[in-house]
Amino acid sequence: MKKFYSNKPAIILFAVPALFVFTVFVFYPIVQVFNKSFYDWNGLGTGTFIGFENYTKLFKDTVFKISNKNALIFAGTITIFQMTLASTFALVLSNQRVKGREFLRIAYFIPVVLSVTVVCQLWLAIFNSDSGLLNTIFQRLGINYRQNWLSNRYYAIYAISFVNAWQWMGYQFALLMAGIKSIPNDYYEAAKIDGASTFLAHMKVTIPLLKETYKICLTISLTGGVKAFTEMFIMTKGGPGNSTYTLTYLMYKAAFREFRYGYGMASASILVIQCLIIILVINWLFRDREGRDAKWGRIKEKAN
Amino acid sequence: MGQNKRKSKLVNKSVSLDSGNSFFGRLWKIIFRLFCWLYAVISLYPVIWLIFYSFKNNSEIFVTNPFGFPTTLRWENYAKAWSQYDVPTYFMNSLIVSGVTVALTIVLALLFSYATARMRWRGRNVAKIYLSLGMFIPVQAILIPVAKLINGIGFDSTRAGLITIYTAINLSFASLVYYGFLKELPVELEEAACIDGANIFTSFFRIIVPLVKPATATLIIYTFLNAWNEFNLANVLVVEEELKTLPLGLLFLQGIFTTDWGAMGATMVIASLPTIIIYIIFSKHVENAMTIGGAIKG
Repeated sequence: MKKFYSNKPAIILFAVPALFVFTVFVFYPIVQVFNKSFYDWNGLGTGTFIGFENYTKLFKDTVFKISNKNALIFAGTITIFQMTLASTFALVLSNQRVKGREFLRIAYFIPVVLSVTVVCQLWLAIFNSDSGLLNTIFQRLGINYRQNWLSNRYYAIYAISFVNAWQWMGYQFALLMAGIKSIPNDYYEAAKIDGASTFLAHMKVTIPLLKETYKICLTISLTGGVKAFTEMFIMTKGGPGNSTYTLTYLMYKAAFREFRYGYGMASASILVIQCLIIILVINWLFRDREGRDAKWGRIKEKAN
Repeated sequence: MGQNKRKSKLVNKSVSLDSGNSFFGRLWKIIFRLFCWLYAVISLYPVIWLIFYSFKNNSEIFVTNPFGFPTTLRWENYAKAWSQYDVPTYFMNSLIVSGVTVALTIVLALLFSYATARMRWRGRNVAKIYLSLGMFIPVQAILIPVAKLINGIGFDSTRAGLITIYTAINLSFASLVYYGFLKELPVELEEAACIDGANIFTSFFRIIVPLVKPATATLIIYTFLNAWNEFNLANVLVVEEELKTLPLGLLFLQGIFTTDWGAMGATMVIASLPTIIIYIIFSKHVENAMTIGGAIKG
């Protein structure tokens, strides 16, 4: 059996193609990002080494500040929107006797399978100031609240965040539903015997047991703020002014419009670092405290 | 056994959790359910509105009937979208790029995970961890070097450029799924094959490939949806009109159709139909496939 599994030619034939493709098209590019971020490079030749100059420029750039602020707004909006709604719907629909459960599940998930371009074009039509759905609704209801939704420099970022939150709410909902399905029913029986109401049972049993799922949801929506790009690119082009820029948009603009590749790479490496920090912080916040609690318990027992 | 027992208990979760029969208990129940239906309208109506207006003409969309079912089904919008513009080209490109990406990803990932999960060689763990690093790299971050690279190797005016990079970014996830699946499979079948004198290739194709079918189905759906809807890479890699995929092609419709919302709507419906149909037919599978993706990413 050992010989069977250590067939050298087979190992090479099986493992090398994937390793090669990954190394050339993902690993080498990410190394390039960090490397070239120290260069003044217009995309031709090798460029000149300038140390941290791209980074110092970036940190002074007002657009960089706007981008970070927008990342916070974007991440905050989609996290609050998706977490509260997805949790509510998942908890209500975890009761299998709710009528229309299957239909509701599909209704929430349909936007997820749409292409982001379709979603953006669709919401451009909805937000359209002359004949968009939203303004038409206000008009028909007799409310004088016509808005140019995407051309307000303060609110455009919220409108964009809403579009993303709308599209991906169903995704978090499905994640939470899958999590709830894996909780054994015994817990609920115990809670019921103790006389807990549905609400209390969910607060004390379901939500704490969904810790891992919430960790995933939070990681996705918080890094989503840093990575946001397509919605801005299609719906506002970063405008009005530069009020809806994000870090990715800044990177795109620097490299592909202004041919400042080094500067673009510096923003890209900040992007990677910000994503990693978010992942690390979330993992730290959700770290397993059980080991420590158990230890405390033993210490307390001894003290008593 | 243990798992079966657990499953049977999961089925009647609703029996043990029920808000009391008190007045307020019932009131809350009604409020929460109404809220669920209200949001379903918000979630679904924009899509339905799109389908409705893809059958309308401008005066109906803007003035006479902006919200409801079209008075006449104007199929000519669809005919126009399909014949006058490049929609069939975009559609074919998306189909080719997504199809080949799925095939390549499945083959490379399965081979690789078999080598790391089953075969014995030094460095197999390092190789596995190295490949799974891809889960932490945002695609947005590598846009610039990838664009340079694809230009550099002359893939920039071909579909091969998109296909290779799509395969590369999907490999990490697909390998992790296969790895987990293979680790759960018992080795007895392969042992038997080995004793019967089969070599590793025969045993791989005759035993492993059929056994991992459930994981393959999940990955086909996941990778296909990802590739079909991918925008960021396509946006920087494809310039030629005849190579554009649907998400990219749709971007420029705005300019073409500004005065003709019906045809624009029809184009968007055509672009969305494949994924919506796949989802409605395989809804449970699609949700599983998509949520497995999230579970591993976190």
